[in-house]
Amino acid sequence: MKTYMLACLALLLACCYVMPTLADHHEAGEMEMLQFPESYKAMAVSNGGTISGTVTFEGDVPEMKVLEITKDEAVCGLTEKHDESLVVGEGNALKNTIVYLIDISQGKALDKKTKPEIDQKGCKFTPHVQIVPVGVRLTMLNNDRVNHNVHIFSSVNKPVNKQQTKNRKKMQLAGVKKAEGPVQMKCDIHGWMSAWLAYVPHPYFAVTDEMGKFTLEDVPPGTYQLGYWHEACGTNSKEPATVTVEAGGTVTQDFTLSMKKM
Amino acid sequence: MIRRYQNTIFLTLLLALASVFSVADAQNAPEASEEGKRVYEKSCAHCHGTEGRGDGSAAENLLPRPRDFTRGLYKIRSTETGQVPTDQDLFDIITEGMPGTSMPGWDTSLSANERWEVVAYIKTFYDGFKENTAPRQIDLSGKIAYAEQSIETGKALYTELGCVECHGNVGRGDGTSAPTLTDEWGFQTWPANLAQGWTFRGGSETEDIFKRFIGGIAGSPMPAFEGDSFLHFGLTSEESKRLTELENKDEMTEAEDEESAAFYEKMDAAVDIALRITEGETLNAADRQSFNNAMKVVYEKSWHLANYVKSLSPEKRPEPAIGNNALRSQYIGGELPTLGDAAWETLKASYFPLVGQVILEPRQFNPTIDSVNVKSFYNDNEVAFLFTWDDRTHTTASEDEETGKMLEDAVAIQFPVKVPQGPTAPKPYFLWGGRLPVYLWYWKASAPEQVTELTAKGISNAEVQAVQSDLQAEGTYTDGQYNLWVKRALKTDDKKDLQLEPEVFVPIAFSAWDGANGDVEAKRVISSWYTFVLEPVPSSRRFIYPPLVALLSVGALFGLRGFARRRNS
Ligand code: HEC
Ligand code: HEC
Ligand SMILES: [Cu+2]
Repeated sequence: MKTYMLACLALLLACCYVMPTLADHHEAGEMEMLQFPESYKAMAVSNGGTISGTVTFEGDVPEMKVLEITKDEAVCGLTEKHDESLVVGEGNALKNTIVYLIDISQGKALDKKTKPEIDQKGCKFTPHVQIVPVGVRLTMLNNDRVNHNVHIFSSVNKPVNKQQTKNRKKMQLAGVKKAEGPVQMKCDIHGWMSAWLAYVPHPYFAVTDEMGKFTLEDVPPGTYQLGYWHEACGTNSKEPATVTVEAGGTVTQDFTLSMKKM
Repeated sequence: MIRRYQNTIFLTLLLALASVFSVADAQNAPEASEEGKRVYEKSCAHCHGTEGRGDGSAAENLLPRPRDFTRGLYKIRSTETGQVPTDQDLFDIITEGMPGTSMPGWDTSLSANERWEVVAYIKTFYDGFKENTAPRQIDLSGKIAYAEQSIETGKALYTELGCVECHGNVGRGDGTSAPTLTDEWGFQTWPANLAQGWTFRGGSETEDIFKRFIGGIAGSPMPAFEGDSFLHFGLTSEESKRLTELENKDEMTEAEDEESAAFYEKMDAAVDIALRITEGETLNAADRQSFNNAMKVVYEKSWHLANYVKSLSPEKRPEPAIGNNALRSQYIGGELPTLGDAAWETLKASYFPLVGQVILEPRQFNPTIDSVNVKSFYNDNEVAFLFTWDDRTHTTASEDEETGKMLEDAVAIQFPVKVPQGPTAPKPYFLWGGRLPVYLWYWKASAPEQVTELTAKGISNAEVQAVQSDLQAEGTYTDGQYNLWVKRALKTDDKKDLQLEPEVFVPIAFSAWDGANGDVEAKRVISSWYTFVLEPVPSSRRFIYPPLVALLSVGALFGLRGFARRRNS
C-alpha cells in the first residue's frame, strides 16, 4: 500500500493542477424555471373562460439532428431518431411548449385521477414533454424488449434513478410532494433518450401539439399572466403576457419564439 | 456525599442522552458549531467551497468535481434511494476518503471529534437533513454467506437486472453504455470496474456492494435497484416460478387465467405499498407485514448478487511487482507458449500499478487504466511476455473533437538500452529516458500484430528504430481486457536493443493509453521503474535437492524422536 501512496504522491507533488473544463453545467438557470403560485385553492368553476392560442417559431429552422444510436440497434435503430429539443411543424408551428398561468391562486381542482404516462418505445420517450400533477404517480411504459433506466434530475423533489428492466412493461413512480419544473428525464443506458417533466400544483398547464396549439379551459374570470417554457427557446418569465378572461369567453394569445441565446 | 450526588446526576444525564439518541436513531453528530465551521474552512472549503457548493478554488481542475453539498446528493449511503445519508455514513466517508478521486481520507489529519463536528457542519448546507424523521436504512440483517451456490445465483441476476449494460459481461466496466455516461453535473463518468474492488469509492465488502446497488449512487448514472426493479416483486419464488410457467404458455385455460390474474393483483398491491412508503405514508401492520415478506425475497436475491459481484475481484489490491512478487521469467525447454496457451495459466501474474502522468503537459488527472499484469517464459533463444490490462473501451484510432489528434489505445514497454551494472548504478529517467536512453516496445490497438521498437531520450524525444528486430506480437481485446503477447530473441544484432541474459536484473516500466479517456502523447498512465529477471535455468541438481532435503528432514525427525525417548527414560 505504502508503495502506491508514495508513487502517487511523488507524481502529484511534481505537478500543478491544470485541466480544462470539460463540460458546462447542464442545470437550468433561475430564469428557465416554471413559476408557481405560493398557494393554490381548489374551487368550483362554473362559468370559466378559455385561453387558447398558437405558438410559432421564428428564425431559421435548423435541420433536426439525427441521433446516433450507439447500442441495441436491433430495437433502437429500427427508425431514424431525431433530437426533439426543437420540433417545428407546418407553418412554423412549435411543438412541446408548456403554456401556463403563472399567478393563478384559485380555480378548478387538480385532477388527481389522471394517469400520465411516458412510453419508452424504440428507445425514445413519448411524449417529449409531460405534465404531472403533484401527488400523482407517473407511469413509465417499456415497450422495448431492452433495459432502460428512468433517471429524473429533480432538485426540489427527490431525484429518481430506477432501472426498468426489459421484463417490466409498466412501472409506476411515486407521486412527488412539491411543484417543480422543468425537470429532465434521461436514460443513461441509452444516452440520447431525453424528456421533460413539469410537476404542477394547479391544472392550468398545457403542452402545444404538432400544430403549435394549446388550450386552457375553465379559467375563472380575471386577469392573469400567461407564461411559456420551451426547451430550446426558453421562457418569457421576465415579461409574461397578460390576458383577461371573461366569464364564458375565449381569449386568444399567440406566441412567437426564437432560439434562446447561448 | 456530594460525590454520590454527582454520580446520580451523571447517570440521569446519560439516560436522558441515551433516550434522545434512540429516538434520533443513527443520527449522532453534534449540533453544528463554530468548531465544525472552523474545521471545514480550514480543510474542506478549498475544494467544496465556503458555501458548500463544490466550487472551491481547487475544484475547477478536479474530476469528479468536489461535491456540491447544497443538493444533498451523496454517493455512499447505508440508506435507501432518495434518502439522505446517516451521520455515520458521512463520518465514515470523511474518515476513509474516496479511492479514485481527490477526496482524501481524514483519519490521521483530523481527530474523530473534529470529523464529527464537520459532519454536523456540512449538513447545514442542505435543508433535507432538517426533516425530523431518520432516513430509512437498508436492512442488512439477512446476509447470505459467500458461497459457490450463492455466487452462481447472483450471476443470473447480474444479467437479469441489467448491470451488464454498464458494467459489461464480466464486470470490467466495459458495458455498451459505458462510453456515453455523464454524471449529475454533466461530466463524463465511467462505471466501476467490478474486477478491481480496491477502486470502489465506498468499499468492496459484500455489505458495501449490497448497499450500493439497492440505494443507488446518487449523482451518478448508476440506478437504484429496489423492490420492484426485481422480476415479479411481491411474489414468493414458487409463485414467481409458476407465473413464468403460465406466461410461457401459448394458451391458458380459464382457471389458469384467473390464477395469473391473482398473481398480477398481488404484485400490484406490493408495488402500491412500496410507492406509499416512498410517498411518506406510514403503513398499517398488515401492509407492513406483506411489504416485509415481499422485500425478503428481494433481499435474498440481492445478497446473491452482492456475492457474485464480490467474486469478480481479488480480495485485495495485488501487491506490486517487487520483492517476492517481481516479474520472474520462467525457463522452459522447447517452444515458448503462444497467446491462449494453457501454459500461461500456470504462472502467477506480476502486478504493475499505473498512475496518471501529471508531471508534463498534457497531464492525465483521471486515469482509467489501473495496472498491467505480466507473465513471462523464456527458453535458450527467446523470451515471451503476456501483458494484460483492463480498458473499458476498444478504441482504434478516433479523432479527438477538441484537438483533432488521433486517440487510440496503446501500450509501451520500457527497458534501458543498457542494463545498469549493479543496484546503485543510474537508470534512465523513468519517463521515457533522458541523458540515458530507453528502449521501447510500442503497440497500438489498430495494428494488433505489430510491435515497433523505439529509442527515446525523453517523452517527446522518441524515435522509431531504423533497424526493427524480429518481434512477434499478437493482441486481443475481449470483455474490457487487452491481452498482448510479445516474443523476441534474447540477443539481437542491434546495438540500440536491450540484450537479455539469465539472472540479470533488468529495469522495466510501462506507459498505457486509453483513447476513449483522451489519452494521447504525454497524457497517459505510467509506472515507475520495476525490475524483472530471467530466472536461472533449472539445473538437473534441482531435481535431486527436494527428495534429498525430504530424506534429511525425515532423518532428523527420527533422530529427534530417539533423543526425546532417551531423555524420558
Ligand atoms: C482535494 C479536494 C478535496 C478536499 C480537500 C475535500 N474533499 Fe470531499 N470530496 C472531494 C471530491 C472530488 C468529492 C467527490 C468524489 C466523487 O464524487 O466520487 C468529494 C466528496 C465528498 C463527500 C461526499 C461523499 C459521498 O458519499 O458522496 C463528502 C461528505 C466530503 N467530500 C466531505 C469532505 C470534508 C468534510 C472535507 C474536509 C475535511 C473534504 N471533503 C475535503 C474532494 C475534496
Ligand atoms: C446506467 C449504468 C449502470 C448500471 C445499469 C449499473 N451501474 Fe453500477 N455503476 C455505474 C457507475 C457510473 C458507477 C460509478 C459511480 C461513481 O462512483 O460515480 C457504478 C459503480 C458501481 C459500483 C462501485 C461502487 C463504489 O463504491 O464505487 C458497484 C459495486 C456497482 N456499480 C454495482 C452495480 C450492480 C450490481 C448493478 C446491477 C444491479 C449496477 N451496478 C448497474 C453505472 C451503472
Ligand atoms: Cu433506455
